Amino acid sequence: MTAAVENDPSDPLYDVTLWPHRSLSPRGFRLVMLVAAVGVCIPLIPILGTNAAWVIAGFLLFDLALLYGMLQLTYRSGRVREHVRIWPDRVQVERIEPNGRRREWSANPQWVRVELVDTKRIEKYLILASSGREIELGAFLTPGERSDLAREIRQALANAVSHPMPQGSQ
Amino acid sequence: MADATAHIEQHDQPGFFTRWFCSTNHKDIGILYLWTAGIAGLISVIMTMYMRLELMEPGVQYMLLDGEPNGHVWNVMITGHGILMMFFVVIPALFGGFGNYFMPLHIGAPDMAFPRLNNLSYWLYVCGTSLALLSVFAPGGNGQTGSGVGWVLYAPLSTSEQGMSMDLAIFAVHVSGASSILGAINIIATFLNMRAPGMTLFKVPLFAWSIFVTAFLILLSLPVLAGAITMLLTDRNFGTTFFQPEGGGDPVLYQHLLWFFGHPEVYMLILPSFGIVSHVIATFSRKPIFGYLGMVFAIVSIGVLGFVVWAHHMYTVGMSLNAQAYFMLATMVIAVPTGIKIFSWIATMWGGSIEFRTPMLWAIGYIFLFTVGGVTGVMLAQAGADRVYHDTYFVVAHFHYVMSLGAVFGIFMGIYYWFPKMTGREIPEWAGKLHFWWMFIASNITFFPQHFLGLAGMPRRYIDYSAEFAGWNYVSSIGAFISFASFIFFIGLIFWSLAYGRRTVANPYGEGADTLEWTLPSPPPAHTFETLPDFRGKPASH
Repeated sequence: MTAAVENDPSDPLYDVTLWPHRSLSPRGFRLVMLVAAVGVCIPLIPILGTNAAWVIAGFLLFDLALLYGMLQLTYRSGRVREHVRIWPDRVQVERIEPNGRRREWSANPQWVRVELVDTKRIEKYLILASSGREIELGAFLTPGERSDLAREIRQALANAVSHPMPQGSQ
Repeated sequence: MADATAHIEQHDQPGFFTRWFCSTNHKDIGILYLWTAGIAGLISVIMTMYMRLELMEPGVQYMLLDGEPNGHVWNVMITGHGILMMFFVVIPALFGGFGNYFMPLHIGAPDMAFPRLNNLSYWLYVCGTSLALLSVFAPGGNGQTGSGVGWVLYAPLSTSEQGMSMDLAIFAVHVSGASSILGAINIIATFLNMRAPGMTLFKVPLFAWSIFVTAFLILLSLPVLAGAITMLLTDRNFGTTFFQPEGGGDPVLYQHLLWFFGHPEVYMLILPSFGIVSHVIATFSRKPIFGYLGMVFAIVSIGVLGFVVWAHHMYTVGMSLNAQAYFMLATMVIAVPTGIKIFSWIATMWGGSIEFRTPMLWAIGYIFLFTVGGVTGVMLAQAGADRVYHDTYFVVAHFHYVMSLGAVFGIFMGIYYWFPKMTGREIPEWAGKLHFWWMFIASNITFFPQHFLGLAGMPRRYIDYSAEFAGWNYVSSIGAFISFASFIFFIGLIFWSLAYGRRTVANPYGEGADTLEWTLPSPPPAHTFETLPDFRGKPASH
């Protein structure tokens, strides 16, 4: 979660990007694949030279490929991004799915409510609501991060509302 | 950025069919695994009752065909019991059941990395169980139903056994293997990549570690089994000769492949229960586990060593002396990490404020019985001594102490420990303790005499025995019947507690229970940690 607050009138007053946490570092990923690759070689050593070794090798390679692919998929699902941008006259939330699909929501900062709800299932569920349409934000963050985020967004909205409107030569 | 209203509606209580048949929730799938494993376990135990009844007295009294002893029925029973227990009871209960339910909770993950794949793993496992059961009733060898080749499916017996029963059994193992590999990769991906921020590898509770190491064992060893039984299938049906000497194949090669899978397999059975026992002992001693880091590395090294000792199951096939010496030494090295675990558990209890609740009794019983099984394991590891012990009841006693009294005690321990968490109700304390003592005494009466029988030379896998072995066999059978009665008592107890058990609180065990699942309500809501918990700056728990 990064935050940058700009005062340049053409830039948003508040700009933040959110993404889900992934605990396996690229180095850790290489290590896991290395360990698995060495591991699948052990059974092949004593049976080298037999016909059976080819069959076993096929199964083991498939297995290794499966592990590689599935770990890559978890990284892929971690590529969700949510951008929150606030201008004096507009709030925009953009969500980019791993497949590149974008969804946008925008509203007037005067009318946006930021709600942190403790539902039965989800602690500190963060909702932005305006003119009848509600969106969830940062469902993949920790509750602590979500309350920080809510505080920042509320502050930024307050700033935006009190900010002189960018009319004409502003 | 889904519409929140639509999103919240999605989380409403699903109907019975949707919840249990289309489930993608790791907790529901865990419970499904436990139920299915319980049913398969009951069937498998009933088979052993039939066998112990037959073994109660010398001569063949019950397994008869036209008044003649029918060894085929015996062989089918022994095969069915082995296959069900190894593939469809213990691993699904510990790894599929408790692993699915509690591993994501322990690492603070919202669910498994691939929830729908998790559902597929479960249903493949159900298919496998059904195929295994069908194989008992399908036309098989000796003009009867079922295949009687032993759970190891050794060639050339398995390649010459007639009928489709054998093929069904091979398919059953295939399907369960596919299920386990998908489940294992799912667990590996979850454990590695879905941990909550700040939950570093060495803060992960020991149960989650044990499940992760088990998953890695499955990942690396099951493809070998899958390959081996695929070759069995082609040998049987398509005229290949991988294991047929007359075509240049080698039946001993099958044994190597089987045991390359089979030895890690027994660690897959036991490792998750190592994790559970660590939690139970820390909880009821009100102390953090002694030597957390040592415990983690002990689990990992048991896993690694499990891959390089397989041929100690086959000292008598005619291996070179050097190979036997290597496998003997490597096998005995395993006693070191196992010893670290046993002593760390004892050191955890040392100076602790011990509370003898039901799960703690199971844990202490587990440590004692597993140690007995481990010591006979070191005896069997001696290649020279194994010439005498090989294929006797001493081996049967050894692996039942490790698995029946070890891993199965682990399952019961997990059920008693986590039942309040999973169901929101408590099992009456007196009943749990009664079940423990009942089963502890009865299963020792069953299996301890088998050491004597083995040392006296009684061979395993036979329907009959000579009259000298009658005494201890009688004792063993009586013990088995009493154990079975305790199992029936346990089944009744579970249903009673589900319906009438006292309602419980989030953490019924007090401050000793400090892993993450005890912070959630009992039973936990359908989606825990939709919100990721944060562990930065918190010390490791047990």
